[in-house]
Amino acid sequence: MGRTRDERWADLLRRANGGDRTSYIQFLSEVAPVLRGIILARCGNHSDESEDILQTTLIAVHEKRHTWRDTEPVSAWVYAIARYKAIDALRKYGRTRMAPLGEHEDNIADDTIIDPTVTGDLDRLLAQLDTVPAAIVREVKLNGLSAEEAGQLFGMTAGAIRVTLHRAMARLSTLAQQKSGNAMGDRKIRK
Amino acid sequence: MNTNDLISSLGAELTPLQPGLLTKGVLVGLGIGLATTTLIFAVFWGIRPDIGAILHDPALFAKSALSLLLGCLALPWVLSQARPGSRTIFRFAILCVPALALLAAVAALFTTPSQGWIMNLQGKSIATCLTSIPVLSAPILVALLLTLRRGAPSNPMRCGAVAGLLAGGCSAAVYSLYCVEDSPLFYGTWYTLALLIVAVTGAVAGRHVLRW
Repeated sequence: MGRTRDERWADLLRRANGGDRTSYIQFLSEVAPVLRGIILARCGNHSDESEDILQTTLIAVHEKRHTWRDTEPVSAWVYAIARYKAIDALRKYGRTRMAPLGEHEDNIADDTIIDPTVTGDLDRLLAQLDTVPAAIVREVKLNGLSAEEAGQLFGMTAGAIRVTLHRAMARLSTLAQQKSGNAMGDRKIRK
Repeated sequence: MNTNDLISSLGAELTPLQPGLLTKGVLVGLGIGLATTTLIFAVFWGIRPDIGAILHDPALFAKSALSLLLGCLALPWVLSQARPGSRTIFRFAILCVPALALLAAVAALFTTPSQGWIMNLQGKSIATCLTSIPVLSAPILVALLLTLRRGAPSNPMRCGAVAGLLAGGCSAAVYSLYCVEDSPLFYGTWYTLALLIVAVTGAVAGRHVLRW
């Protein structure tokens, strides 16, 4: 044994890039806690934001996994991705100066909401998404379908549904912050 | 959404990678851009009639060779820029191009009488040079930026600037076949300025286009 963590990660990711799912999940599971630490340190221990940044980072790792050259250290590569995504996210939060993302996500995702103004808001927000992600949000978050059921409905894998859903929710949170930041703040105070 | 759930979703999404996705893509982009530039050059500019002289005069040869060298060194640099956490020695190696251009210019100061310096520096085609190189670089820069979107540059602005140097170097090499200004004082100054214009354009475009 005696291998360094980087060599082990490199090994896992190399196998993952060949299509080995078990190695890939193992790789992501080992990388995630390390990245969580880095991101927490970067955004001053706001755990709601940082978990969201972590997930964005993991999606970026997934989408950009071809940019790792297997002769180069994996850790430098994933850290650079985490750093980029953290800076990017903090810049966005800084611009909107709003409460952590997580709360808004709960607001939007809450399928018990019956207040017509809120569903009106949601309709307007959903209209800004592409048709398929918007339809997935409706089916899963409002009509309570499981990822598997939605997958059958849309002819996608359950995994693809989850990834699309995650992206759509992140986008909705940003839109909600940009558009109705003040209104939402009021509502929360009244609650 | 729970992070562990996300990880299993991503795992379910996994497909084997095709090797060389980024490098091949950028090379194809560069090829298409360069072909387009060459075509535009052939139609609207054309090669100078006394092109044979280039092979005999080192100062003339250097004009094309240095531009091409800049392009060749910028290519591995831009490819490394598109990979997070990647480093390359080419960002230092590329400094040899301005060093050599400076050397050629200093040599020109010694070989030409001092009354001719200003004349050589001004030449007759500053405006043509400063517009031709950026215009000819446009197809290459656009193709590069589009293909670099497959990458993940940790500094999109810098990556765009290096793509600008690559596009500018190639377009300057092509333009040098038309340009009849043969003094290193001329091309050392105005080619450099034209290249900087392209690099800045690349940086500004990269900042928007290369975000991920």
